[in-house]
Amino acid sequence: MKTDILAYLKKYTTEAFNQLLADEELAFNLHSEESDFIRFSQSKVRQNTTVQQHEITAQYQLDQRTYRLRYNLTLDYATDMKKFASVLQQLRQDLPKTDPNPQFVPLVNNGLSETFKKATRPSTAEIIPLICGTFADSDMVGLWCSGPLRQAAINSKGQFHYFETDYFFLDYSLYDGPRAAKAFYAETNWNQQAFLNAAQQTKNTLSLLKRPSQKVMPGSYKTYLGPMAVAELMGMFYWKALSRASFEQGFAPLKKLHDKDVLFSEQFTLMENLSLGYSTPFNALGELSPQELPLIEKGRLQNFLISTPTATEYKLTSNYAEPNEMMKSPEIRAGTLDEAAILKELGTGLYLSNLHYINWSDPQAARITGMTRFACFWVEKGEIQGPIQDLRFDETLYNIFGKNLINLTKNQQVYANTSTYLKRELGAMKVPGALLREMNFTL
Amino acid sequence: MQTEFNKYKKDADFVAFKTIHERTRDISVRDGKPDSFHEFDDAGLLIEVMRNGHMGYSATCETTPEGIKHAFAKAIAMTDTSAKFPVFKFDEKIRPPSKGSYQSASKRKLDQLSMAEIYDFLKQTSLRMKINDKIISTTSDAMIITCQQNYMSSAGAEFDQTFDIVINSMAATAREGKETQTRSLHGGRGNCLQIGAEHFNLESALKDCDQISSEALELLTAENCPTETCDLILSPDQMLLQIHESIGHPLELDRILGDERNFAGWSFVQPADFGTLQYGSPLMNVVFDPTVAHEMASYKFDEVGNPAERKHLIKNGILQAGLGSLESQMRSGLRGVANSRASSWNRAPIDRMANINLEGGDLTLDEMISKVENGVIMFANKSWSIDDYRRKFQFGCEYGKRIKNGKITTTLKNPNYRGITVPFWNSLSGLTKPDTVETYGSPYCGKGEPSQIIRVGHSSPYALFKNIEVFGGG
Repeated sequence: MKTDILAYLKKYTTEAFNQLLADEELAFNLHSEESDFIRFSQSKVRQNTTVQQHEITAQYQLDQRTYRLRYNLTLDYATDMKKFASVLQQLRQDLPKTDPNPQFVPLVNNGLSETFKKATRPSTAEIIPLICGTFADSDMVGLWCSGPLRQAAINSKGQFHYFETDYFFLDYSLYDGPRAAKAFYAETNWNQQAFLNAAQQTKNTLSLLKRPSQKVMPGSYKTYLGPMAVAELMGMFYWKALSRASFEQGFAPLKKLHDKDVLFSEQFTLMENLSLGYSTPFNALGELSPQELPLIEKGRLQNFLISTPTATEYKLTSNYAEPNEMMKSPEIRAGTLDEAAILKELGTGLYLSNLHYINWSDPQAARITGMTRFACFWVEKGEIQGPIQDLRFDETLYNIFGKNLINLTKNQQVYANTSTYLKRELGAMKVPGALLREMNFTL
Repeated sequence: MQTEFNKYKKDADFVAFKTIHERTRDISVRDGKPDSFHEFDDAGLLIEVMRNGHMGYSATCETTPEGIKHAFAKAIAMTDTSAKFPVFKFDEKIRPPSKGSYQSASKRKLDQLSMAEIYDFLKQTSLRMKINDKIISTTSDAMIITCQQNYMSSAGAEFDQTFDIVINSMAATAREGKETQTRSLHGGRGNCLQIGAEHFNLESALKDCDQISSEALELLTAENCPTETCDLILSPDQMLLQIHESIGHPLELDRILGDERNFAGWSFVQPADFGTLQYGSPLMNVVFDPTVAHEMASYKFDEVGNPAERKHLIKNGILQAGLGSLESQMRSGLRGVANSRASSWNRAPIDRMANINLEGGDLTLDEMISKVENGVIMFANKSWSIDDYRRKFQFGCEYGKRIKNGKITTTLKNPNYRGITVPFWNSLSGLTKPDTVETYGSPYCGKGEPSQIIRVGHSSPYALFKNIEVFGGG
């Protein structure tokens, strides 16, 4: 019989809290998923994996000290309680051997909530023939992922936040020899016609790549970055750029923005926007983060992401960011550029659908490097001439979203988080395309 | 688990059970005080089933009889559907009936290392780096991993492997005015070994701390790396990334076969290149070698039972073999290695690197430097980026030195370089002797859908490249 995870969690945590001594504090975070992963290559199945994974993290606190220990639940109550007893014994033994933690935050009750979301979607048995059939005339490679995912933040002060969702995505690309077009399909509810239309649109993009390949030499070019390319750039804001703890500890790519030595364009506004609905409303501590938090507004830094542990250490005010101070649901606000006017406004230059493998090349200067990828074109007088060979860029965020930003598109795309390292990640981002005066390509 | 396995071993054309129990203690101390204490006690089961030539997987942490029954039924159902649309029909040769065991070489097992000992080591090293008010942050951390892997199959395989792994890093960040620079022990988490508790030698670590913090301060007033084309010497703690990104990944046969095109990328290497492509200069000899004691990714069998052997990937500059598992070898008809590996019990095995090593040459480091009229030597990786075909790369290091007329002169900050894989390796013009080879690795090699990280090892001597584009920051 299938276990009711929520009921099991309530029983398990109640019993665990009953075992605490007077001064001990304990919090639990749950990550539970039942995932079907179908890996496609050549429009056929390369690997199929189904995963039942229930991780629980016990955060034990005593005398200004904190230790987090993560382990798996078997969903056999006696086995799991026995494991908890050994975990508690280890924590009681190890923690006193360390010093007080400057980021120590006493546990508090941040309330109760239970959220349930559910997607309607084909079963895995239905989706495999459907995807193989839809792309039988193409060379498709990618990943289907579906199934329930649950997260919770519970503590011994009475807090109990639980979030359960069931979603799907198809993250794929179509190839014609070395030429490729990238796409995602993820909706709240499966829509067969919308899926088929999106698949056809990707096939149409691929056909554009049949035009003669264009050789573009390194240099600076007027550039249009499609929403997927902007989403890749957004990754650099995740990578410690907006973390207050990182800023305090010396990794500070946005220091010039903080010091107002340089500003981004007035057209650039970056928000943390939980109302997109793809992430939990609570953080790992169970705190309820604001629905919207301006990070960079009209080109000026408004807020770093500040977790309560960081706020404690540096005597700041928390904005209830996750302890890792990464965005969960960022949005770059739309601009005024019409979809239909992109090529005309670009005139002559590069139309880049995707970027790849971006890294800091000089974090102090917010300088980054990366590659073009998938459907990228050379455009002359508003007309696509043909695909380009991959180019390397090396450019600062200040130039891209500052002095060189001409406009952002009216249209924004929402991309659900498709990360599956170790486990599935919640979250999403909403981004427009961006037209740049110039971008620097080096190789 | 044997009892449970016996219940199901005849219920498919092939059945295997792999259990993983891995304990990771990830302890970080900053400025002499606790930063984060995380531990992960991960245990679970991966079931492999072959139906009609297609291999499918079911992973579960519900390792009870009921949980295994449910997982096995899901594996069969999903694999039966998938087997109607297979990329390739395999046979039992992809899962050999290997038997044996492996254990990391260590003098004192890591499970005997107490939290108090770890914390004391990290606290003392972290405090030691704080030599000056300009040092604004010092971090000392360690990932201490013990992993037990057990595999049994209906083909008769039965092996277990136990790994003791330490990943130890230390870093100091210095600031003066608007300048901030970080120097670390071999760059990020490059300092990785299979080793026991004897790794934590405080006397030796404190010497490393002194060098790290003094070089962080030195970088505050250093000149920027010049922008020019010149000779470039890379230290082993940068070569690890150069080998990883521009040799390891492009040689993975599943990339060459196209499985990674949507995520990690394809490869410039074509099947016809094996045995013919002049990948690098004749000085270049690269081996796949999971048999080296203490190197990060050593083992006796890969995770489907293929016995590990040392093999040349590149010999005298000519491409010899790819990094392909038995599955990829069967699909491609190419020679491969024992490299079917997974990040844990919850992911299917794919083609991965293990230890990829560049062999030493015939120069001392002084002799190598004396050959450089105008150049730069760079140490410790801090930035990496390469295209999806593994051609055009750009890497950055923490610390550089100018070389003029055969002698090291001034310190350089923000040293970066870029190039294209095959021309770059063909510009290799010197390697230091085998006794200068240093061994590093990474715990974070990413690949696969669903995504996986894996531990890899890389050893290298110092290497001299001619006419490379170098540049600084700003």
